[in-house]
Amino acid sequence: MSQQLTEKIDSSPIGANVAPSSRSLLSLLIPIALIGILLALVPLWLGDSRVMMGVAVLGLAFVCYAIGFNVIFGSTGQLFLCVGALAGIGGYGAAILADNVGLPIIVSILLATLAATVVGGVLSYVAVRRSLGVIFTGIVTLIFSMSFDTLLLGISDLTGGDTGRMIEAGRGTFLREQIPPYYVMLALVLIFLLVHGLLQRSYIGWAFRALRDNEVAAELAGIDVARYRVYGALVGAAMLGLAGSVYAMTEGRMSPTTFGFGEVDVVVLVMLAFGSIGNLFGPVLGAVTFTFVDELLIEFGQLRTIAYGVLVISLFLWMPNGLLSVLTSLWRRIRQK
Amino acid sequence: MIANILDGIVFGLQLGLLATGLTLVYGLGGVLNMAYGQIAVVSAMVVAFAMDAGLPVLPAVVVGLIAGGLVGLLLDQTLLRPVYRLHEEPRVLLSLLLTLGLSFIIDGFLIWRYPLQALSLHIGGGAIDILGVPMRRGSLVASAITLMTFAGLFLFFRYTSLGLAIRSVIEDEEGARLVGITPQKMMRLILILSGVLAAVVAVTRSMVTPVDTTAGLSITVFALIVTVVGGLGSVAGAFFAGIILGIINVVAASYIGSYISLIILLAAAALTILIRPAGLLGVKE
Repeated sequence: MSQQLTEKIDSSPIGANVAPSSRSLLSLLIPIALIGILLALVPLWLGDSRVMMGVAVLGLAFVCYAIGFNVIFGSTGQLFLCVGALAGIGGYGAAILADNVGLPIIVSILLATLAATVVGGVLSYVAVRRSLGVIFTGIVTLIFSMSFDTLLLGISDLTGGDTGRMIEAGRGTFLREQIPPYYVMLALVLIFLLVHGLLQRSYIGWAFRALRDNEVAAELAGIDVARYRVYGALVGAAMLGLAGSVYAMTEGRMSPTTFGFGEVDVVVLVMLAFGSIGNLFGPVLGAVTFTFVDELLIEFGQLRTIAYGVLVISLFLWMPNGLLSVLTSLWRRIRQK
Repeated sequence: MIANILDGIVFGLQLGLLATGLTLVYGLGGVLNMAYGQIAVVSAMVVAFAMDAGLPVLPAVVVGLIAGGLVGLLLDQTLLRPVYRLHEEPRVLLSLLLTLGLSFIIDGFLIWRYPLQALSLHIGGGAIDILGVPMRRGSLVASAITLMTFAGLFLFFRYTSLGLAIRSVIEDEEGARLVGITPQKMMRLILILSGVLAAVVAVTRSMVTPVDTTAGLSITVFALIVTVVGGLGSVAGAFFAGIILGIINVVAASYIGSYISLIILLAAAALTILIRPAGLLGVKE
C-alpha cells in the first residue's frame, strides 16, 4: 500500500513540477494564499464564542501536526508514531523554560523546538542506521511515545502529573485573548505549508520522491537515502515542536492527554487518511474536515469513536489515497471532457 | 532479591502470554492485529456477562474463550480478506490500519454501552509461600495457567502435524505451499487460536487486576513490544522476552523505583530491537 500512497503524489498537479520556475512558485503560492484567506475568515463566523474559537485553534494546531507528520511519513516514509510526544517536548519544554527557568517566551519556544528537532533527528538517525523498516520504526517511536508519557507522569513537580500544569508566562498578553491565538496558529500553518512546498520543489524534495518511489534505485543514483530521511525527520520534528509549544502557550495549560498518543497520533493518522498522505494540502483538508465533523458529532460521545473506526476502515479499503486524490482525479476527468 | 525475581517472573509470564497471540498472527501471515487487546477485552466482557447471568466461573470462562476464538474467525473471514491480497510491507500496513479502525469500533462500542463493566476474578485464600516469599494466590493461579498454556503450545507446535504445518508456513510460506499445506487455512486456525489466547490473557489478567473496557490499547501495545523483542512468530521468543522484560521491570522498580522502571523496560525493549531487529529468537528478518 505504501506503493499506492506514493504513486499519487507524482500524478497530482501540485508538486509535480520538479524544476523551480516562477510558474511552479506561483502554483504553490496561490493555493497557500487561498487557504490563508479562507481560514482567516473563520473568526468572523465563530469569533463570538470562546468555546468555538478554542476548537478552531486546536483544529489549526492539528493542521500543523498533520503537516509535520506528512513531511516525515508522507515525504520520507518513516512511520513516526510519536507526533504527540514531539509536540509535547515543545509544549512542556516551553512551559518549563519560561516558567521554571524564567526565560523569555520566544527564547523558550525556540529552545523547546530545538529540543524536539534534535530528538526527532536522533530517532530518525537511529532508525535509518539500523535500517528499520516502516513497522519497526513505528514500534520504536511508539515505545518512545510511551516513555515520554511515563516521564510526564513521573516528574510531576515540573509537569503536574496526571492533572497537568498551567503556564504563567504569556498571561495577560495577546496570546491568551480570544481571537489573536487563532491568527498566530494560522501563520504557523501557512509557514509550514510554504516550507513543505518549497522543500518539495527543491533538490531535497526531488531526493525525497526518489527515495520513496524506489529506495534502491535512489541509492544507486547517488542519493544518500539515510541523510535525506534524517533531513525529513528534522524538518518535521521542528514543525511538531514549534506547533506544540505555541499551542501550549496560547492555551495556558496542558496535561499528558494534550499530547497523548491516542489523542494526537491516532487522530493525525485519521486526518491524513482522510486528507491524503504525501500530498502538500492533504493535511489541511483532512484536519479541517475532521475538526468540523468532530464538532458536529460531539454530542454523540463514544459513538464518535465508532464512526471514526468505520471511517478509517472504509477509507483505507476504498480510497487508500485519501479524499484529495479522489477529488483531483475527478477534477482531471472533468477537465479532459 | 528472590522476591523480586519471583515477582518479575509472574509479571513476565503475563507479558509473554500477552505477546503469543499477536506474534503467531504476525509471524505467520504478516498481519499486525491492532485490535488484539480489544479481542481480549471483548472476551473479558463476555465472561463478566456470563457470570452476571448466573453461570459458574468455569463455564463462563469457557464461553469467554469461545467468544475470543469466534472474534478471531470473524476477523479472518471479513476484515482481513483484502489484507491477504497484499504482500510484505503493504500487507502489514493495511492490516495495521484496518484493525486499528476495528479497535476504535470495539472500544467506542464497549465504552459507550458498558462504561462501568469490568472483569475481576477473585481467587480466594491467603498468600502462599514460595521459596520463603509470600505470593498472592491470584497471581500464582494466573502464572500456573500461563505456564500450562505455554506448555500446551510447545507440545502442539512440536509434536502435532498441524503444529508442524503451521511452523513450516511461518518459516517458508512458498515451501509449505509446495508440500501441500494451505497457508490460508493455517492462517484461519491461527487467528482462532490467537483469539482464544487473547481470552486467556483477559482471564489470567483479571485474577491480578480488573480488566475494564479501556484496557484494550495498553494490552495491544505491550503485546506488540514483547512480540518484537521476542522475534516475530516465535512463541518461545515471546516467553523469554516476557520473562526478561518482567524481571527487568520489577528489579528496576525495587532498586530505582517508580516510573523510571517502566521507562527502563521500554528502553530495554527499544535497545533489543535496535541491536537485534530480528528479535531474541526471531525466525527471519
